[in-house]
Amino acid sequence: MEVNPFYFYTSSNLVELTGEKANTLSELLALLKRCSGSAIFYHVFQSYRERHFAIEKYHSDFAQWISTSLDEEVLAERLGSLDVRDFTSIRSLRESMIQIVEDHLQTYPQCEGRPGKTPFFFCQSISVVTPTKHIARNLENFHQIIGQIGIRSIHYHLIEARLRLGIHTNDFSYWLRTSLEKEKLAQRIEAVDLYLHNLEEIRRMILQSIQEELGSSCPSI
Amino acid sequence: MSIHLASYEPIVGKQTIEELYLLAEELKGKRIKMVNSTAAGGGVAEILNRLIPLLNDLGISTQWTVIKGGEDFFEVTKKIHNALHGEQFSFRPKMKEIFLEVSRENLRYIGLEQDVLIIHDPQPIVCIEGRDRTDAKWVWRCHIDISNPNEEVWDFLKGYVEQYDIALFSSPRFSKNLTIPQFLFFPSIDPLSDKNCELESKFIDQVLERLRIPRDKPMITQISRFDRLKDPIGVIKAYRMAKRYIDCRLVLAGGEASDDPEGEVVLDEVRTEADGDPDIHIVPLPPTSSLEINALQRASTVILQKSIREGFGLTVSEAMWKRKPVIGSAVGGIPAQIIPDLTGVLVHSVEGAAYQIRYLLSRPDVAQKIGEYAYEYVKEKFLITQSLRRYLLLFHVLSHPGERIIYFDKDAPPLPMDR
Repeated sequence: MEVNPFYFYTSSNLVELTGEKANTLSELLALLKRCSGSAIFYHVFQSYRERHFAIEKYHSDFAQWISTSLDEEVLAERLGSLDVRDFTSIRSLRESMIQIVEDHLQTYPQCEGRPGKTPFFFCQSISVVTPTKHIARNLENFHQIIGQIGIRSIHYHLIEARLRLGIHTNDFSYWLRTSLEKEKLAQRIEAVDLYLHNLEEIRRMILQSIQEELGSSCPSI
Repeated sequence: MSIHLASYEPIVGKQTIEELYLLAEELKGKRIKMVNSTAAGGGVAEILNRLIPLLNDLGISTQWTVIKGGEDFFEVTKKIHNALHGEQFSFRPKMKEIFLEVSRENLRYIGLEQDVLIIHDPQPIVCIEGRDRTDAKWVWRCHIDISNPNEEVWDFLKGYVEQYDIALFSSPRFSKNLTIPQFLFFPSIDPLSDKNCELESKFIDQVLERLRIPRDKPMITQISRFDRLKDPIGVIKAYRMAKRYIDCRLVLAGGEASDDPEGEVVLDEVRTEADGDPDIHIVPLPPTSSLEINALQRASTVILQKSIREGFGLTVSEAMWKRKPVIGSAVGGIPAQIIPDLTGVLVHSVEGAAYQIRYLLSRPDVAQKIGEYAYEYVKEKFLITQSLRRYLLLFHVLSHPGERIIYFDKDAPPLPMDR
């Protein structure tokens, strides 16, 4: 059967300094409302890639700053527990974050103007997406490429894709489902907990799932 | 020594090198010129010396021009530099005249037939007056902490900065409110340079023997020139507080201050404070001591960078690259390198530094974990290959104004799942 091939891409981003910074929670809220979608995307999804080797308490820069600089743990926990898999657009993610911060300020109005230990600098990014030389035409092929592709490719197809695609999946699962009809494997990759594993661990988990699917026909990498 | 990108593959991995080639593919044949004020000495020249051969290796024709000027010009630029760090300074008309005259003289011989001109720091900033003579894009790369500048000097420079297409800063803290786009460009270290390359343990032993530093107890080290802004006295005080609980040695090593009368005074102050303690080693080193500094960092148990004010503070990344836990002050570019308690420890006082020395010396397991994360973080963000990546991305951004996602589909295959 002729299947659509999977083209592996990689993405790099240049971080733009917006010149805007928040010293307090109310300033953060105001900026959350008017910053670009690219700034939300950067602070929630992209800056994490630069420290992908470690499992931090919070992936999102916003939650991290609220915890370490403002000491507002309740709010940090609530923002930090937002799951990227629940959102299909930056708009809906932004609305949820604003709602959580507003609720917090209503309950704890005293923390509104209290300055943090350090300011939060709003950044955004410009991404450059390039095709790699890797193209998978079947599952064996796919397995082999996943084992050797750069970590930026994994991040791009697994995490950034969710917002690009606007659906509750990722590039890998979508291809496995629609081109190879591997529904169970697609689901297993969708179910990987992005918050409890670093990207190398996630790579290994994907490889493990494919190996189990392939059984004895799995080639060594 | 010729430098090739392939030499970095064993360090950063094949995938990273492949990605750099991919990013460079569309940029082949571009003409880039870097302009700064010194060919040797100082961090900027050090980075350019390594970066330019690598850009050329990727097929991007990159030249480097160093502006010329007499003593009077560099006296003015030194004062401008210090004023941008916040020092008091009155920018007298005669100084402005010297600055502008020499800059315009330089502009006469700098070839502007380029695609991108990257002007480093304030010394050559006036080159932008040549803007009408070329179609090139203009980039101002600021390596200095200008978060609290002397306003008179900054206002003068800002008029030039805003004529550029893009400005680059080393930390979000250093950025300003500008009418042009600004990007984050961390400085970087070269893992193959003498200061950072792997060393044989025999060589490390020899260096320590030569410097008469026994290796009988944990060693805490600060590498910096003898300058009050690096707070060497605070470091000694922190060491003394920690030593009440855990035996250790302190090494204060750094550039010799022969041409800096204040440096000699500070060195004397440090010796007085050390008061003959045999476990404190004060080691002034000549500027050519990269291998010795490398050896001292590798021999250390914990590294301190207890500065009161700091530029970016790349010595922090140098130590992190050697998998050392670093205790750093939360100033300048240090917080950009240290994620608290993950890739290092941030402190705000002598007492804080003392407590963290005790903690890290008593908990080698934690120190080791921090050291491992520190290494990974430098690998991800502060190696020269990352600087290279940022420059390649910058050239793409300049070629695609207004685009937030730049796609390259040379053979136009669809995005895997685009629909």
